[in-house]
Amino acid sequence: MKKFIKAENGFVSKTPLYVTLTIGLLIGLIFSVLYAVTIGSTKIPLSDVYGVIFHKLLSIGDYEIYGKGPLHDIVFYIRLPRLILAVAVGMGLAVCGTVMQAIVKNPLADPYILGVSSGASLGATLAVMLGIGSFFGSNFVGVMGCLGAFLISILVVFIANIGGRSNSVKLLLAGMALSSVCSAFSSFIVYFAHDKNGMMTVSYWLMGSLAGAKWENILVIFPLILVCVIFFISQSRILNLMLLGDEVSVTLGTDLHIYRNVYLLVTSIMIGFIVYNSGMIGFVGLIIPHIVRILVGNDHKKLIPVSALLGAILLVWADVLCRVIIPKNELPIGILISMIGAPCFIYLMIKKTYGFGGKQ
Amino acid sequence: MEIRADNIELTLNNNHILKNISLLAKDKKFVGIIGPNGSGKSTMLKCIYRVLKQDSGAIYLNEKNITQISIKDSAKKIAVVAQHNLYNFDFTIEEVVLMGRSPHKKSMERDNAEDYKIANECIDKVGMTSLKGRTFSTLSGGEQQRIILARALAQQTECIILDEPTNHLDIKYQLQLLDIVKSLNITVISAIHDLNIAAMYCDYIYAMKDGGVLYQGTAEEVLTSKRIKELYEVDAEVIKNKYGKMNIVYYTKYIY
Repeated sequence: MKKFIKAENGFVSKTPLYVTLTIGLLIGLIFSVLYAVTIGSTKIPLSDVYGVIFHKLLSIGDYEIYGKGPLHDIVFYIRLPRLILAVAVGMGLAVCGTVMQAIVKNPLADPYILGVSSGASLGATLAVMLGIGSFFGSNFVGVMGCLGAFLISILVVFIANIGGRSNSVKLLLAGMALSSVCSAFSSFIVYFAHDKNGMMTVSYWLMGSLAGAKWENILVIFPLILVCVIFFISQSRILNLMLLGDEVSVTLGTDLHIYRNVYLLVTSIMIGFIVYNSGMIGFVGLIIPHIVRILVGNDHKKLIPVSALLGAILLVWADVLCRVIIPKNELPIGILISMIGAPCFIYLMIKKTYGFGGKQ
Repeated sequence: MEIRADNIELTLNNNHILKNISLLAKDKKFVGIIGPNGSGKSTMLKCIYRVLKQDSGAIYLNEKNITQISIKDSAKKIAVVAQHNLYNFDFTIEEVVLMGRSPHKKSMERDNAEDYKIANECIDKVGMTSLKGRTFSTLSGGEQQRIILARALAQQTECIILDEPTNHLDIKYQLQLLDIVKSLNITVISAIHDLNIAAMYCDYIYAMKDGGVLYQGTAEEVLTSKRIKELYEVDAEVIKNKYGKMNIVYYTKYIY
């Protein structure tokens, strides 16, 4: 046991322990959601909160009390969708981060690295400042952000494939170059629009928030993220090979080229939907994969499911904190995660003998 | 398994690297490729293990053109131990060796008890069982190379390609690694720097210079002092050791 702890590649690298961890996290997630739903700016007795949920799920309890009215609306239309969105977004960001780090073979990657963030902000800027895309309806800023993110990541893949096959370096460079172009255009628009309110709208939107959660969106994003996460769990062998690089993978019987493009497409779709629902929430996609790498090592068979669960739990709690940390006001979730998450991450980095992708 | 390369030509970045190279590795033979740095040894091997594709010419595994074999199937036939393996992300030794089982697995299939058994046997074969809990990056260069060999063994192939595998190893592990490979009694193609090692292990030697095969034959035929001078521009003498086997000694101006 002692030797095994010295293994330095995670304290939970043996299969039974890792299974225990996964189940533990799943239970933790369920309890987090059940607890988080009782917290909010309006004080509602515990029994009433669960009364509404049980009424909805199992049709028990009195319809007159739990089936309608402000109590029902707050729990069912405000708190629950928000929590489920937090679960979906947290899972999605953490898994995309893990996958992106494998695709570009670089521990610094996060879901937004390949031009996604600047694409999203360009889309949002176009929408807010110039009103482009207003025919998409009330959340047209979200739609434009999502489109921007998606189109830029497709463009990154396309550019990286010109003149020979793409590889991790070409992808990173194409992503960075396109990022610069997008931010330049965003700044250009902001500079000439002379619109202070618009600037604020854009920057608020970029800070990310789960407040806009609606059931009709959740019924799309939640199954989508879940399917994508399961897809990536099934791809763990190829994700592992990605960390070894193209040449070694060929000698081990897998040509990564197609897989890389498919994975990028899947992550772009996931990120597009996340951006649409919650704006940009940074840092989750970077820290969660690394925390999980500390816990279980780099084998994606363990990495992906544990990342998904931990990401979901983190976002549920971050959202709870956002709602209660400043009375009568809500902190943007992106700010909170960076403020609290980054120092915790630095602490872990100093404390543990973990190479973060470099040599230990 | 027999590997044959016919008239391989390759130009990379306007450098004509491989000039009409043909070679043959007969079943269960240990074939060495020697030659100075930049002579095209590694490039030739990369064409065989499909990381590079030749401009013209063809490579055959048991008389079947390699282009008609899927990457996955060729990885079941040829395993590779290449020069260096630096990874950005760390794996445990067991995880690295288990990856050698990938060509035998469908992409969604999990590793089963059999795979773990094979991986552990291979780790044992390279003498690394005592370090099994360690991670790859904490190993010395020589230990890493032995793990990569274990991964290649886990592929259970009929042929193994060694691309200067002993570069980072001290003499004990150079000999140990090659002894293990030799004892497998499978087809081996290896790029080798050390001519004495080439002479000891190879059944047949190809000597490359400037992208072409200059000489080929048994060690006695290829490794003569005249030919070594021509290949490496080094003065050498071939003497007999106490077992009557050839041994090459080098002379520089400081020896006199």
